[in-house]
Amino acid sequence: MAARTLRPLILICDDEMPLRELIKAALGDTYRYVEAADAQEAEDVLGEEQPDAIVLDVMLPGKSGIEFLTELRRASTPSPSDLPVVVVSAWQSADDEQAAMTAGADAFIGKPFDPEDLASLVEGLIAA
Amino acid sequence: MSKASLLHSVVGRVVAVTALGAIAIGGTLALFFAANSSLKHANQENARATAIDTAAVNLRVHVLELATAFEAVVGGNGKQAVQQWKTAEQSWRQPAASLAQAAAPSQGLEAESLGVRAQIEAFLTDFAEPVIAIAKISPALARSSTSQTERTIRIDEILKATDTMSTVAASEAAQSSASANRLAHRAQVAGLAALIFAPLLLVGLAIWLAKSVAAPLRRTVNAASEVAAGHFEVRLDDRRRDEFGELGHAFNAMTKSLAVSRDELVARAESLEQAERHKTELISMVSHEVRTPLASILGFTRLLLEREVDEDARRRYLEIIDAEATRLASLVSDFLDARLIEEGQFALRPELFDARALVLEQAELALVHDEAHDLELQLHDTPLLVQADRLRLTQVVANVLSNAVKYSPAGGTITVGAAPSATGARIWVDDEGTGIAPEHRAQIFEPFFRGGAPDAGIPGTGLGLAVSRRIVHAHGGTMGFDALPGGTRFWIELPLEQPVDEVDPVRPRPAPTGVPSP
Repeated sequence: MAARTLRPLILICDDEMPLRELIKAALGDTYRYVEAADAQEAEDVLGEEQPDAIVLDVMLPGKSGIEFLTELRRASTPSPSDLPVVVVSAWQSADDEQAAMTAGADAFIGKPFDPEDLASLVEGLIAA
Repeated sequence: MSKASLLHSVVGRVVAVTALGAIAIGGTLALFFAANSSLKHANQENARATAIDTAAVNLRVHVLELATAFEAVVGGNGKQAVQQWKTAEQSWRQPAASLAQAAAPSQGLEAESLGVRAQIEAFLTDFAEPVIAIAKISPALARSSTSQTERTIRIDEILKATDTMSTVAASEAAQSSASANRLAHRAQVAGLAALIFAPLLLVGLAIWLAKSVAAPLRRTVNAASEVAAGHFEVRLDDRRRDEFGELGHAFNAMTKSLAVSRDELVARAESLEQAERHKTELISMVSHEVRTPLASILGFTRLLLEREVDEDARRRYLEIIDAEATRLASLVSDFLDARLIEEGQFALRPELFDARALVLEQAELALVHDEAHDLELQLHDTPLLVQADRLRLTQVVANVLSNAVKYSPAGGTITVGAAPSATGARIWVDDEGTGIAPEHRAQIFEPFFRGGAPDAGIPGTGLGLAVSRRIVHAHGGTMGFDALPGGTRFWIELPLEQPVDEVDPVRPRPAPTGVPSP
């Protein structure tokens, strides 16, 4: 059981249930997961848990993923500002990627994506 | 431009100022000419007076000679005296004629000269010749004091008459000279005045003219600069009655027309901008609506192909793939419907059925997996018969219901109803959402219009309502929405069919009103 508690915690923030399922399936049993359907839920999660990485959708109802990320990077608490964040977006132009990176994303991946690509991306970020 | 407003035109003013200047110069010149001619006349008068005086003096000499010769003859001084008399008797006529000639231009003086001549003739015939004749007979008688006195009187009268002529001629000449001098003086004064005032007058008029042209010209230049700077609301005074009034009128018409053109261009640019924005939104919407299900389908397929997964996971993945593929299929069908709408092709397969059954079925279907909302049904007690394409009407009701679910906050109640109305069969769906913003209400049924949904992160194509209303219209019905105090009511109204006996079977489900969904 001790080994299990050491598994990194991933916060998945996406309003589409199938996408959250896909991300969990892609990353596999290596991680523990906590889910949020919008930015508000994600903020609530961050108040209680300390995830090791966030997989964040851009288009969320209410506050967008980019806005959420910008605020997260500006605030030093409750989460460390160097918390790895992977932004997932249906919009994948250079501008969209630039906006995500400017907001403080560590990686950017467009929909649709290869599950293996996402898995290696997250693995790399947590190992770093 | 009428004659009455001649002075109100710039051309009229130029003409008026020029005419005034010409009158001032012409008047002065005319005065000089009059003075000149008057002086000439005075000179002539003087010359005539001199001629009359000379002739009168000459005549007086001859008259005195006549008197002397007469005296000698009467005195009996012999043949020499008689000869002298004969000469004198003839020699006065030449100077008398000269005097008459000199006096001729003046009727008064001419008559006077003739009078003098007559007096001399009378002296000769009535006195001298008879006395000379008497002297031949009685020299003493002829030399009597009476005779002497008579002679003196007559000769004095003649001399006096010639004297008078000299005096009168001199006086007339003097008068003429004085008059000419007065006129010349007047001409001098007028000339001087003209010399001083004419330039002042002309300069004054020129300044007035320049001002009356320059000031409005300056205003026109300023207004033109304003227009050049894009201020098309600037206006010139167009009530003036001169050319500047006409210019102002034309200028104002120009600025008005410029403003209209600019507004049209701005409106066109805005509408193009809006079209461009709609296009960008549409691309962004399609991109999101297509990519999200595609991401699930491709992702799970890849996982199934590349990883070993247990039976439960495999089943679950396939279910998600199926649901997302269905979602894509319905998206494609929405686009096809939208295209049919654009082309106006709608093939309906109408049948007679109870709309309440359809509404109930769709309400239960929409909310069976939705635990976030409560359902309230308001179905009428008796069948609500409509002649409609069941599949298409199902599509409409499902669309309105899915919107209600999509736009209602969690915990809200969705009310679904069906009942006859004054105009037909009415179906309605109430949500407890935030309502439709007033500025979006006019466009809510436009294809691809999504209002504030993209900003709120609510998925959709913006086609549902557009397709739905088109379907309702194709049935001869109407579709609309009402803002509720806490939400929105979408309603559909279709022509209500009268129940016919052979219509069977109409199987209204039990219509639970006011019962929340499970």
